[in-house]
Amino acid sequence: MADLFAKYFPNVVYQGWTGDGGWLPAIGETLYMTFWSAIFGGVLGLIFGIGLVLTDEDGIAPNHTLFSIFDKVVSLFRAIPFIILLAFIAPFTKLLVGTQIGTTAALVPLSLGVFPFYARQVQVALKSVDHGIIEAAQSVGATFFDLVFDVYLRESRSELIRVTTVTLISLIGLTAMAGAIGAGGLGNMAIAYGYNRFANDTTFMATLLVLVLVMIVQLVGDVLAKAFNHKTAG
Amino acid sequence: MAEEIIKLDDVSVTFQQKDKQVAAVKQVTLHVEQGDIYGIVGYSGAGKSTLVRVINLLQIPTAGRVEVNGKLLYQADGQQKKLIAAKSLRSERRKIGMIFQHFNLLNEQTIIDNVAFALKHSGLKEKQIEEKSHKLLKLVGLDSRATSYPSQLSGGQQQRVAIARALANDPEILISDEGTSALDPKNTIQILDLLKDLNQKLGLTVVLITHEMDAVKRIANKVAVMDGGRIIERGNLLDIFTHAKQQLTREFIGGGSLKAISILKKYQLGKLSADERIIQLTYVGNSVSEPILVKLYRDFNVEANIIYSNIEVLRGTPVGTLFVIIKGTSAGRIQALDYLQKQEVIITEIAEDELQEGETDNG
Repeated sequence: MADLFAKYFPNVVYQGWTGDGGWLPAIGETLYMTFWSAIFGGVLGLIFGIGLVLTDEDGIAPNHTLFSIFDKVVSLFRAIPFIILLAFIAPFTKLLVGTQIGTTAALVPLSLGVFPFYARQVQVALKSVDHGIIEAAQSVGATFFDLVFDVYLRESRSELIRVTTVTLISLIGLTAMAGAIGAGGLGNMAIAYGYNRFANDTTFMATLLVLVLVMIVQLVGDVLAKAFNHKTAG
Repeated sequence: MAEEIIKLDDVSVTFQQKDKQVAAVKQVTLHVEQGDIYGIVGYSGAGKSTLVRVINLLQIPTAGRVEVNGKLLYQADGQQKKLIAAKSLRSERRKIGMIFQHFNLLNEQTIIDNVAFALKHSGLKEKQIEEKSHKLLKLVGLDSRATSYPSQLSGGQQQRVAIARALANDPEILISDEGTSALDPKNTIQILDLLKDLNQKLGLTVVLITHEMDAVKRIANKVAVMDGGRIIERGNLLDIFTHAKQQLTREFIGGGSLKAISILKKYQLGKLSADERIIQLTYVGNSVSEPILVKLYRDFNVEANIIYSNIEVLRGTPVGTLFVIIKGTSAGRIQALDYLQKQEVIITEIAEDELQEGETDNG
């Protein structure tokens, strides 16, 4: 079995499990980048998403100026192609983490790249909360924080899990691109060790692993989203 | 006279839409007395929902004065607008329960938590909140479903939970914004009866917005009819019912005079000879036990031809309506009407021009 595998996937075997260019570090780097940029980008995205909904005309704290600021910042960052963003904010990255190459440096553009996308998703999720429910909560004297946490966030949590899943999957895609600035990970493996060296089996294996990762995220996301949804009977 | 618990004076609500202003409520004055069940009817877009949202300031008016439970919530003197502070507003809102057409329960919380949510700032301890929530669910007959989620309940049950939530802070007032409009007839009746029950047992003042006249007929003691942002007619249920002045009010009352008049028109029964008149007789409860029509003929030589009759139940009291053509000498007719009035029959003469081809037909 192992022989057969080595016969058809010689380069995969050549890369080895550990060490420079090994599979485990590549997987680790992808997970590392996905995790931390999901945290930073996620928090930023949540803040902007919530801000967009609350300050909107029909929100609970309408404020045209703030809404415009949230809206413009999100739109601006969404408009910059990620691969260009990587290069564009390199000086800022260097200022923040001391270097502009490597896995940790990639977290800056990754977070900034994913947050506007997430902010829009969060905005849509929170908007799905029926305005009537907010009104009903107000009619029993709910405070601003009650409305944000008990109504907006809690009522939309299944939807939030769903959009978080979508965002995570797109983030995994972005980490592959971050390989371009030497961030490592499975994307780097597929391009630098696979494509550039005509080692198609390595590219194939890296792709497979990314797919597995995506599927796991999707699966967990679906299960959680279902568990937290009581909106429909069942 | 009972104390006026809701006082809306000259209230206007104007929405800014792009560059045009839309007046949803125009200088409406509405006073509701403690213990009233006040029905507000009108077609959608008449401004009734906007108007009642002014009561708990879910809708901030653009002009007027709002006083609820003896507290001034909003007042506009010219350009100067005074609005109660946000914190006081929240505590005042807790004294005004509200239920909605689509129940608006928190879908991601169990029904006991839905009720408890309203008690979050009541100052009660967690344990007391739980006890009180159970008590409220018992009141609406749903304590056994405490840990269910709203989606597992029927519409009628969800509305009961909403009522429990609305009553959580022992309000004096309950506003129902189309609270029965999404329910089937059986649940509608149950919810209406529950409201009436609460009105009688707790002295709860109810403001009932609806487009279904049947709901109003069943429980309201007073009615206001809204159209185009104004209250075009208001009064006691019976008065409105028997003596609606506005065409729209008659449309809402439906079954009664409007239908009769449209039938008369359709078959041209309105063409009367000189010694004929059409009158509408309305009698309440069992005030008519005597064979009055026979008496009309025997004593006053006035013939009465029944062309339409109908009986309705208003707040549990039967109210009969009879359209008759009376034929006789002018003196006989006057005597006959005098006699009917003594029998506590309410008489409305239908003018002949009302029966000519006009704006209303097919009822």
